[in-house]
Amino acid sequence: MDSRKRIIGVVPVGEVPELAPKVIAAHITGYLKLSAKVLNPLAHPAYAFDESRLQYNAGAIINFFESAPFNEYDKVIGVLNVDLFVPIFTHVFGEARQSGKYALVSLYRLAEGKQGGTSTSALLLERAAKVALHELGHLFNLFHCEDNKCLMHFSGNLEDLDHTPLYFCRYCSVYYKDAHSRT
Amino acid sequence: MDDKMNIMIVDDEKIVRESLFHWFTKEGHTVERASSGFEALEKLEENPFELLFVDIKMPEMSGIELLEKVKTEYPDTIVIIITAYGSIETAVKAMKLGASDYLLKPFKPDYLSLVMEKITQQIKLESEYHYLKGRMEKITRFDNIIGQSPAMEKIFDLIPEVAQSDASILLVGETGTGKELVAKAIHAKSKQNYLPFIAINCGAVPDSLLESELFGHQKGAFTGATHSRKGFLEVVSGGTLFLDEVGEISTKMQIDLLRVLEEKKITRIGNSSSIDVDFRLISATRRDLEKEIGAGNFREDFFYRINVISIQIPPLRERKEDIPLITQHFLEKYSQETTKRVDHINRGTMDHLIRYNWPGNVRELENAIERAVVLSKSRTLEMEDFSFLREPSAALAHPMSLREMEKQHIQRVLEECGWNITRAAKLLDINRVTLHKKIKRFDMQRNA
Repeated sequence: MDSRKRIIGVVPVGEVPELAPKVIAAHITGYLKLSAKVLNPLAHPAYAFDESRLQYNAGAIINFFESAPFNEYDKVIGVLNVDLFVPIFTHVFGEARQSGKYALVSLYRLAEGKQGGTSTSALLLERAAKVALHELGHLFNLFHCEDNKCLMHFSGNLEDLDHTPLYFCRYCSVYYKDAHSRT
Repeated sequence: MDDKMNIMIVDDEKIVRESLFHWFTKEGHTVERASSGFEALEKLEENPFELLFVDIKMPEMSGIELLEKVKTEYPDTIVIIITAYGSIETAVKAMKLGASDYLLKPFKPDYLSLVMEKITQQIKLESEYHYLKGRMEKITRFDNIIGQSPAMEKIFDLIPEVAQSDASILLVGETGTGKELVAKAIHAKSKQNYLPFIAINCGAVPDSLLESELFGHQKGAFTGATHSRKGFLEVVSGGTLFLDEVGEISTKMQIDLLRVLEEKKITRIGNSSSIDVDFRLISATRRDLEKEIGAGNFREDFFYRINVISIQIPPLRERKEDIPLITQHFLEKYSQETTKRVDHINRGTMDHLIRYNWPGNVRELENAIERAVVLSKSRTLEMEDFSFLREPSAALAHPMSLREMEKQHIQRVLEECGWNITRAAKLLDINRVTLHKKIKRFDMQRNA
């Protein structure tokens, strides 16, 4: 796999703890062996705010990304600290289109639970990295995996997310390598 | 998830269709979208779908209407209703109409994941059910009971009929006629086919052991009873008990079994408390039990209890027209099992097999074909491959005159040829006129 050709952009959107995009970029390099660069922040996504739900529509933000100039990056991950939703779900931790270019990670609900909501705790950052790597997996056309010891296993709540590892199972590792060899 | 499905999202709101589309795409499923019930029905005509997510509130055709149509025309398609306008009444109505689940928008991501897990499990169970049902159908199509003779056709018609009742059945037939296969087919066609079928050959088990086998025993009930054990009457629990060679059991055991059949209770050996039992009894015998009753070897009351329905299974010699079919079946079976390419039998050899009396019935024919296939050196079975078949010689059984022997031989050949004089004369290698003369001389008549 030639990682020099691939650069993943990590872009803060709105007000985000400074450490979070850096940790995500480090995990992308460490676990997926891809170059990752933290980009200049984008403005708060007021355009995606849904007044009836008091949440931010992840689809609208991804649509906005599609019109933004990210040409020099293979994939781009937006990092936010707002409550994201897709219309059918109450909330999402992250969002990506299968085989697409753009993904989102929200820190908003990741601070809940064990650490009592400390905004940049180690646990929150680890969770954010997991969600980012998982969504990146979708961008590389990896599907959800049945194996709960795989990064691509779907985690619908924080408890599941905490049990999910930061690495792929052996099958998803092969699919990931396949995805690279094809593109 | 390994079990990828064809899913259709039916919702008039594009944003919902797209959300679910992206979600299921990430799961690896193949996803179609339809914006109305009519479009969904069109797509269903083109391709099969395992799962439909249907919004209740849609213009023109509501989700409930679509659900009704889908369940009528594609009953195997699973439908999950989704709505933002949910009410208990609508949910109840949807479930009554066959929806598998009901989701209120928006739902938690892990809830959808749970629903999908449930659906995958349901599909897996259904496919296992269909597979097993298919296997059961195969069994109940009587694949192992072969025949197209009127006598066998009658049995094939009888099996599904008697299978539906709980009445005791007595199968009467010579050894090797396939009594156990008929019993298994009755069990397989019965409502209790998912419960055990337990067969005991009463003739092969000593009486003392048979009691313990049927009734079970408590620890210490007799020397060697080191632990308690359930008997077959208990284990069969709602299924079918097949007592083969029932004519061989002692009168004492007949009394015990009669009581079980009347009271539906048993007591384990060495125990005083009784246990309720429930089973369907099929018995089989090669003996003429009415004769045995006359001789005092079989109890009349027990006979009537086990003989509510009686099925006579004809010996192979009485359905010779089935021999080619059965021969071909076993030829294919043993060619496959031995991986030897022996797939033909010449006409003369087949005639020989048809003429043979088969005292051991289908079992003997099966053994003969197996042996011939194993030893054959060519692709086609010849007469010499069956040289081991020897008619039991009447002369050896008891000495008789040459004239008596000639008469018996001519009589047998005539019976085998159905009194077709030309065929019988050809087999006897005499001309028709001579045969007529011999028939007259021996005062021979066709057996009734």
